[in-house]
Amino acid sequence: MATELEELIGFLSAPSPPVKKAAVDIVRDLTGSEDGLHSLSNYANTVLPSFSRLLSDDKEVSEPAAEALVNLSQNAGLAAKMVEMGLIKIAMDMLYKPGSSITRLLVMLLVNLTQLDDGISSLLQIGDDKMQGLYVMKLVRSFCRSSETSDDPFDHVGSILVNISKKEEGRKMLLDPKRGLLKQIIRQFDSSSLLRKKGVSGTIRNCCFEAENQLQNLLLISEFLWPALLLPVAGNKIYGEQDTSKMPLELGSALSIDREPVKDPEIRVQALEAIYLIALQEAGRRALWSVNGPRILQVGYEDEEDPKVMEAYKQIGSLLVHGSETEEPSTTTSK
Amino acid sequence: MALWMETGSEPKTETEIADLEAISALKESTALELKEKGNELVKKGKKHYPEAIHCYSRAINQKALNDPDTSVLFSNRAHVNLLLGNYRRALSDSQDAIKLFPANVKAYYRAAKACLSLNLLAEAKSYCESGVGKDPTNEELKKLAKQIDLKKLEQEPREAQVSKALVEAKDLVSAIEDRRLKLGNAMYRELTGLRKPVLDKNGILHWPVLLLYAEFMSSDFIEDFCETDMFSAHLDIMFSESCPPLPWDKENHYSRDAIELYYEAGSGICLSKRKILRYLLEGTAAANVESIGEEEKDAADGSPYDSSAGSSKWVKVNEKRTLHDVLKEPNFIIPMIPVYYVVSKRSGFYKDFITGKWRPPA
Repeated sequence: MATELEELIGFLSAPSPPVKKAAVDIVRDLTGSEDGLHSLSNYANTVLPSFSRLLSDDKEVSEPAAEALVNLSQNAGLAAKMVEMGLIKIAMDMLYKPGSSITRLLVMLLVNLTQLDDGISSLLQIGDDKMQGLYVMKLVRSFCRSSETSDDPFDHVGSILVNISKKEEGRKMLLDPKRGLLKQIIRQFDSSSLLRKKGVSGTIRNCCFEAENQLQNLLLISEFLWPALLLPVAGNKIYGEQDTSKMPLELGSALSIDREPVKDPEIRVQALEAIYLIALQEAGRRALWSVNGPRILQVGYEDEEDPKVMEAYKQIGSLLVHGSETEEPSTTTSK
Repeated sequence: MALWMETGSEPKTETEIADLEAISALKESTALELKEKGNELVKKGKKHYPEAIHCYSRAINQKALNDPDTSVLFSNRAHVNLLLGNYRRALSDSQDAIKLFPANVKAYYRAAKACLSLNLLAEAKSYCESGVGKDPTNEELKKLAKQIDLKKLEQEPREAQVSKALVEAKDLVSAIEDRRLKLGNAMYRELTGLRKPVLDKNGILHWPVLLLYAEFMSSDFIEDFCETDMFSAHLDIMFSESCPPLPWDKENHYSRDAIELYYEAGSGICLSKRKILRYLLEGTAAANVESIGEEEKDAADGSPYDSSAGSSKWVKVNEKRTLHDVLKEPNFIIPMIPVYYVVSKRSGFYKDFITGKWRPPA
């Protein structure tokens, strides 16, 4: 079996197109099974470079090659090797070549590679002073634009953002007001695609871990942040004038009408966790009160049935009760 | 006999050698005489100090003495310079003295004294320590060292205050820059005084906000308007039913539902970072700091932000927005402290205001 495999791998670089195509298809099929993955991983040093070269080939070869890489990258050891080989740069370069037909696959590959710390660093381009953040900016822009297209090849970018926001450098980059990335990302929350919603929700939640040090970068986009965090956990009822009059326009008007509930409990938990992280800070609590947030949480809790989500509501509740001094906006006037 | 020698030529004859030796001896005794004369003049008192210095200088210029003796000349001159208050020159002379003869303890003392007077406390201490190293029993040096320590102690809290004020002001300028806010010259200084925005521990800005009742040219302050607060929240408190009506509002036009807030858009000049920093430093411990470390070459302020035909517009404030959102509007230049004009829909004055017939006094 071993020598056959070696021969097969050798054919990946064959000059004859049909031979190459056949080899790629077979190896791709192998990557779909546990055994196949295991066997192939022994030849990582030849297989991986071969496949990455094939990415720039015609569609009939590059597609199965990309599929194979996505499968292989689910193995942490192989993923690490890919990052080491500079596959992130190769993927990013291929992604933005005009006429690329493997966009979605390349994005999925990046999702897997950014599960690793090194993958994240590589995507953030840390250490490259001039280019730092360029990849991320491109991906965010594509993420925001492709929702308008019918096939939406960049919808998995949300998952990449969730991954990079697990690292402090990633969060810093996303929160940087000069780049304005988080603002663009939050706007995608309205999308009907669950994958997008989850990507945005998870990213915001991770970014809120910076609330201690960068609260202003979160609160200063509160016009977009609060609707994304509070609407999913506002329950199903239509709010009355007495409540909405204390809210900013974007919240008040959204809550005065019928709306689609957010069905996925994970998104609701993430929203509540994000709110909790903000509410840990005094200025965060103050801002939450100023948009009548606690009232929204109170009403939302009444409609909630999922136990995990209810836990999350209660956590914020006790924080607001115990962590408050004078929470109403204080005004002293001099005449 | 010829006294001048061509450069590079060696004395050949015995007479020439003798001549040179005689000249050298002459110079040496001149120098020593000048030194004695200088010392005498110093003893005679203040009026004679400049002349004493002159003597020492001439003695040095003879270039006839060995290093240790020349060192004494320098340190003597340093002494007189100290007496005259020429601290920089005293320091320079002491340094020359030390270079020529590192065992000259008096030179260290005088260097230290000069540094102390120039407020170069670290250098003063260092010279003291070197001096004590050469002469551990020297009581004067030890006394001087104590003096220096005392001065250091006095200065530290002051210096700490200054650097704290500077850091705070710079953080504020950074925060303003990050938010891309535009600041212009302060208006109504007689009302705002030294009020300034403040950055809280979460990095959130709090602004003092001036409210002007245009109709009556009366004013009010919101002392602490957090940038994440909505206007409506503050107005609710200020114009709540339990508050008494404003004294000059005889017909009670200025009720909560009737008031509107406006700001003046599109006029004025954006100030440079440096000017903003200066304003923020006013009234703080660091107000007189000379160099505030801004090396940017934009000493010039931004160009005048002009709207059409020189007339500025009134823009209505949407109460349901936060202060931050309203401040960052591109057409608004904050006059250091935000100013909003309050009018009542119900008052006859409203029409004049809206149509631009009323202008704020210059």
